[in-house]
Amino acid sequence: MAVSGSVIGNYVGASVKRVEDPRFLTGQGRYVDDLKFPNMAHAAFLRSPYPHARITVDASEARALPGVIAVFTAADLVGVVNPIQIDASLPGSKPLPHTALASDKVRFVGDPIAMVVADNRYIAEDAIDLIQVDYDPLPPVPGMDVALDPASEPLYEKAGGNISYHDAFTCGDLDAAFAAADRVLTETFRQHRYINVPMETRGGVATYDTFTGELTYYAATQAHNAMRFFLGAQLNLPGHQIRVIAPDIGGAFGLKFGIYREDMVVAAAAMQTGRPVKWIEDRRENLTAGGHAREDTLTLEAAVKNDGTILGLKVKMILDAGAYQVTPLNPALFTTIVRTVLPGPYRFLNYAFDATVVTTNKAPYVAYRGPWAVETWVREGLADIIARELGLDPVEVRRKNIITQEEQPYKNALGLTMERISARETLERAVELADIPRFREEQKRLRAQGRVVGFGLATFIEPAPGGAEYMAAMGGGKEPAIVKIDPTGHVTAYTTQVPHGQSHETTLAQIVASELGAPFEHVKVVHGDTQMGPFSLFGTGGSRAATMASGAALFATREVKKQVLQIAGAMLEASPDDLQIVNSIVSVRGVPQKAIPLAQIALLVYLAPAHLPPGSPTELIGTYAYDGGEGGWSQATHCCWVEIDPSSGKVDITRYLAVEDCGTMINPAVVEGQVRGGIAQGIGGVLYEHAIYDENGQFLTSTFMDYLVPTAMEIPPIEIDHLETPAISPVNFRGVGEGGAICAPPAIINAISDALGVKITEQPLPPTRILELMGAIPADS
Amino acid sequence: MASKKQIIELTVNGVQRDGMAEPRRTLADFLRDDLGLTGTHLGCEHGVCGACTVLVNSEAVRSCLMFAVQANGQEVTTIEGLASGSKLHPVQEAFWECHGMQCGFCTPGFVMSVYAFLQENPDPREEEIRPALSGNLCRCTGYQNIVNAVRLAAEKMRETSAVPVPASAIE
Repeated sequence: MAVSGSVIGNYVGASVKRVEDPRFLTGQGRYVDDLKFPNMAHAAFLRSPYPHARITVDASEARALPGVIAVFTAADLVGVVNPIQIDASLPGSKPLPHTALASDKVRFVGDPIAMVVADNRYIAEDAIDLIQVDYDPLPPVPGMDVALDPASEPLYEKAGGNISYHDAFTCGDLDAAFAAADRVLTETFRQHRYINVPMETRGGVATYDTFTGELTYYAATQAHNAMRFFLGAQLNLPGHQIRVIAPDIGGAFGLKFGIYREDMVVAAAAMQTGRPVKWIEDRRENLTAGGHAREDTLTLEAAVKNDGTILGLKVKMILDAGAYQVTPLNPALFTTIVRTVLPGPYRFLNYAFDATVVTTNKAPYVAYRGPWAVETWVREGLADIIARELGLDPVEVRRKNIITQEEQPYKNALGLTMERISARETLERAVELADIPRFREEQKRLRAQGRVVGFGLATFIEPAPGGAEYMAAMGGGKEPAIVKIDPTGHVTAYTTQVPHGQSHETTLAQIVASELGAPFEHVKVVHGDTQMGPFSLFGTGGSRAATMASGAALFATREVKKQVLQIAGAMLEASPDDLQIVNSIVSVRGVPQKAIPLAQIALLVYLAPAHLPPGSPTELIGTYAYDGGEGGWSQATHCCWVEIDPSSGKVDITRYLAVEDCGTMINPAVVEGQVRGGIAQGIGGVLYEHAIYDENGQFLTSTFMDYLVPTAMEIPPIEIDHLETPAISPVNFRGVGEGGAICAPPAIINAISDALGVKITEQPLPPTRILELMGAIPADS
Repeated sequence: MASKKQIIELTVNGVQRDGMAEPRRTLADFLRDDLGLTGTHLGCEHGVCGACTVLVNSEAVRSCLMFAVQANGQEVTTIEGLASGSKLHPVQEAFWECHGMQCGFCTPGFVMSVYAFLQENPDPREEEIRPALSGNLCRCTGYQNIVNAVRLAAEKMRETSAVPVPASAIE
């Protein structure tokens, strides 16, 4: 039973076919680029080809081109779009104010300098070519090493250098831990730039009513309320004068959390020209300037006993934030999440974390599916390195350090209470399914034949959404839902989630239908319009939906059900406690002839309230804002088997297994889809994907021929095994959207390391790098 | 730069359509913006992702790499032409039953590619399916359910004989 004291269960737990799919399958999905409005104009951006330069802009020739409606430069937006200033209240962070379009200087290849609005996109791009820009190059800051040098050219003069954030944290007794250690291991892990690459790029259509002063922005966003809130602030529009609508969204993976500089300019252009303005980012822009993720370097110093026990851990993290902060997230926040989550299910009570964020001439650092993912890689990489150095079994090192059920509730280094953490159980189950001893024999046999095979695993927990303390620490807020029964007895559920692949139209309907006792087909989930439904700044992300949005929908349904049963009880002369709703018919338990259809009750409520007993509700509506309760953590252990072609360096994943625990699955097909999709992104990130800048800050991977997104040929079948540990709180659904992408990299890298017999502390691992690690070709340092 | 528009007449999903387009206008833009068939999606506009796949004279093509003028006089099938009313094509049914999509953006391109593939190869071997899908990018699913959908679609199409028996089989 998913929820105590509830009749839920009819649809919950079933792989109900998604209600979203028929429209996607027939081309009837409506993504922003599919929207058309009378007199709509099209926008294109001029972007800097230089990483760092002072600029002067002359757009006069472009403005004169027939078909061009307007050209916007930074000068045209003074007083129209406010300067951008991300919250710098986090202690240790510096403000980095900038403008929506680059004004006096450009700071990365792809920096938007001007936007043309024209009758069609072709003319807009023609006009882009006519804008004259003089670039006076400045010394580039192409990476964190240069940025850390106080002599580097500052991107923001007033920030006094390129370090935008520094903070140090320590807990426990590190001196004692290191004094008691048999060994101290120090390793530096370098993670490269990944790109989110949703198949639909960023984009939006802004329309403006010049008489009422109301702006409507149809946006490819995963947080429509945040878009309204922050976009309104940038354009000086009060809340009621700006409406944001998120239509179907073609993937996001964190990219579409941002309120981008482009969004601000597009919206401003609609207000200035009075015409609807559409901007759809092309793929080159998306790869170059849409935002990059994960470029983190972490140095770990571990105090270790000879039996593999980790007594203490000191971590130094440097995050390359690129050139701009994307509204509303200060990238320093990512380091605080890494700090909080890094101990994971391990007993790291003596723990120090030092974080530095630097500014460089690269695309902005954005959230990407498990933005803190580096913590799992470095911890699980370290566990394998400890095993290698001490001659121990990697599984034993984990058993020595991962908390058990008996120890829980367990207060961890960050003061978080860990309870019902089943990471250890996922590990043991994975070890059982993997049959490692058998593989070791096979490996010996194959190695004798010259074949290069390896096995690796990784274990983690993820805040999905995390316990109450975690959510409080992260400023979690509540997730609201509204459930309404209309005069025909059908149900509409309003959520603040913005589904873009997560299947909420289906999963939330499963929950509402089951809890109410209505047929699944009678429930519709409405989302993505700031004028409808409740408010939450978050939207979809941070693995909040499974627990928080589902819980909100569940409790809101209970509210409305209570109203129905109150009326039905009076009409059937029975106590509401004795009533049930099955298939939208309310009846007295055990007396099936005493029944009344939900539709009849609804009709009376809305159309003939005088016929209802006094004190009856005047509408059927339940609202609930759920804080997630104790929330909970999802956990998993991933196992990866690889074979490496020693002649080409190609890594073949011969088997992949994920043992996960997200509590009760609302829809197993959806859960497995999320897990597999995340793992595919982990595989892509480690083996194929790499956003590359050269030493001068020039961007080299602006097409899909350079930035390699894996195809069906590269992603193997993925086996999934489920554990379902009950939660403490009544809502036992936890998120799984991010875990696949978080846990896959260490499993893959540990497998490659095992195959090659070398320590690996870097990503990515393309064939050339594999050949270098094998010593087959000289290292290109 | 802009140049003179030309008349384009073609058959789309069995219906005669016409319009005017500059020679530089892509078939994808023509289908989407001029004919209002927005089911054909643009994911990269450089011929890698396959989201814009349509059939031209029964061959799968990337409509972002073809100019509208090149389709003049040709027969084009888009995702909108596959279902009959509310009755989904077996390929569409199979994708639905196998949970072969998440965000749905790449889906029309996959469905068209799979449709064309199964026309040519109604009974694909396991090892033929993944290469056949490798011209389409999906960022959500990890492909496994799409592979399953191809297998199921082939089964369904063989059962319903939705595929004309290939000439080679008759001989």
